[in-house]
Amino acid sequence: MGNRRVKMSIFKKIVSLIRKREGLTIAFQLTPSMFWILAFLVIPLAFITVYSFGVMRAGGWIPEWGFQNYVRLFTGLDGMYFKLLLRSVGIAALVTVCSVAIAYSLAYFISFRVEKYKYTWLILLMGPFFISWVILVLGWRLVIGYSGLLNYALVQVGLLSEPTRATWGNWGAVVLVLVMGWAPWIVFPIFVSLEKIDKSLLEAAADLGANPIKRFLRITLPLSSPGLLVATFFILLPIFGEFVTPALAGGSGGMMYGNLIESSFMGWPRWPFGSAASVTLMILALIIATALLRVVRLETLMESL
Amino acid sequence: MFHNIGQKIFRIHFYAFVALTYVPIILLIIFSFNDSHRVGFPLTGFTLEWWKMFFSDASAMGAVQNSFLIASITAVVAIAIGIPAAFALVRHFFRGKNLITSLVVLRLCLPSVVIGVALLLFIRVVLDVELSKFTIILGHLLLAIPYTILILMARLIGFDRSLEEAACDLGANEFTAFRKITLPIIMPGIFTALIVGFIISLEDVVVAHFLSGFETTIPVLVFSLMRRAYGVPLVTAMSAFMVAIVMAGLIVSVILARRAART
Repeated sequence: MGNRRVKMSIFKKIVSLIRKREGLTIAFQLTPSMFWILAFLVIPLAFITVYSFGVMRAGGWIPEWGFQNYVRLFTGLDGMYFKLLLRSVGIAALVTVCSVAIAYSLAYFISFRVEKYKYTWLILLMGPFFISWVILVLGWRLVIGYSGLLNYALVQVGLLSEPTRATWGNWGAVVLVLVMGWAPWIVFPIFVSLEKIDKSLLEAAADLGANPIKRFLRITLPLSSPGLLVATFFILLPIFGEFVTPALAGGSGGMMYGNLIESSFMGWPRWPFGSAASVTLMILALIIATALLRVVRLETLMESL
Repeated sequence: MFHNIGQKIFRIHFYAFVALTYVPIILLIIFSFNDSHRVGFPLTGFTLEWWKMFFSDASAMGAVQNSFLIASITAVVAIAIGIPAAFALVRHFFRGKNLITSLVVLRLCLPSVVIGVALLLFIRVVLDVELSKFTIILGHLLLAIPYTILILMARLIGFDRSLEEAACDLGANEFTAFRKITLPIIMPGIFTALIVGFIISLEDVVVAHFLSGFETTIPVLVFSLMRRAYGVPLVTAMSAFMVAIVMAGLIVSVILARRAART
């Protein structure tokens, strides 16, 4: 009994100590996650940055503290690497615009036209996205690839005399697959912001004589802009570094910057050069992300998860 | 008149898009039963050969095992690390909170390929560790933790703290209050975060591609098989298997969500 009382008092002392020192609690709560993020994200990122200023020789990595890797990235192979970067930016921008537009119309339909089972429709839409991306790309090859459904159907109907190779192995195929795969995923953030709109605002505007187009442009669109920005954030940055889709669907004309990075690490190893390419991609991504996060509030981001 | 046609087109475009996103998946399933070594039209006949091959293939079965093991560990550990962090970030105010929040969001700002190669280099050069299941888990935790923290934070922000205070006033100590009041309320958030962590790990190909040595996961194996030899029917069986698993999970969650909505 006495023993138990002693135990209880020690227990209470610890509790009061923890309670008194709020800082200790916070440190205790944050240590595991911060350790993980610092040790396995921040430090490795700093490490590749350091690595990118060296060169690979026979004996291993040698620090030269020069920009030679970056110079090669921007001028090497007659500017081919730089063109690859521009193409990646272009593809990412194009995919983002198309996906956001499609996702907006899908989200609008679910929010304004579907009465029952809105969330079932949303899950149904996002379903394919939960399957691994590689598998989805393989599936799309069966639809638009050389011996895919589209080619087969066109030949059977007689519109083509033989299957065309134009639908696979180029940047167009990459864009198409990315849009079809990513658009459903960003429906949700847009849907959340559309659901928040007070529908009586639209009625009021209608009563005051605004036509549907004006109502959409003056009320719905501005009020759903947080969702649009979150959607952009969620799609633009991952696609920017995409290499799986181009590797499988892009052919030589559809390669992106991610492929350059991937081949520098997994193919013929040129790690310092690959690090420099990664750092370039990272800096660009961080600039875009900072710009977007300035206008998107963290709460809006969290609601969309 | 025009209005009606517009509405109809709008309606059709929605259902057509939903249907279209499922065409590749249905084709994958069909081709996993197609009696031909070439993956492509025309269909030639029915066979179970590729499924038999899949279930007897050591590397495929190993990948399946690895995938589920890695995803389960990732989901659970990410929750364990994420819950305290979410509490700290929502319930307390302290110096450097903004910095810590941006560290959490940092992962969402970076393309996975950058994370993959940075970790690969760090693990191989600095830590000098061989690649294995554990390095994949290490990477997947990095992908999953920020999401679990943000999901739980969203749940905690909407939490009415006076409920906890009421419990304490009624004589419960802090731990009882946590167990009886806080935990049941944030349980849906924990559940969502678990599922999200599991899915992030299960479907990831980018980070696992860089961090897998001889032990691969399903997506990594599919990726390497597709790159080396286009059109191996075994890949379609493996993909169809993954589709079946994910779809089963989705159907269960839809049913659960409907049941929850009814009550």
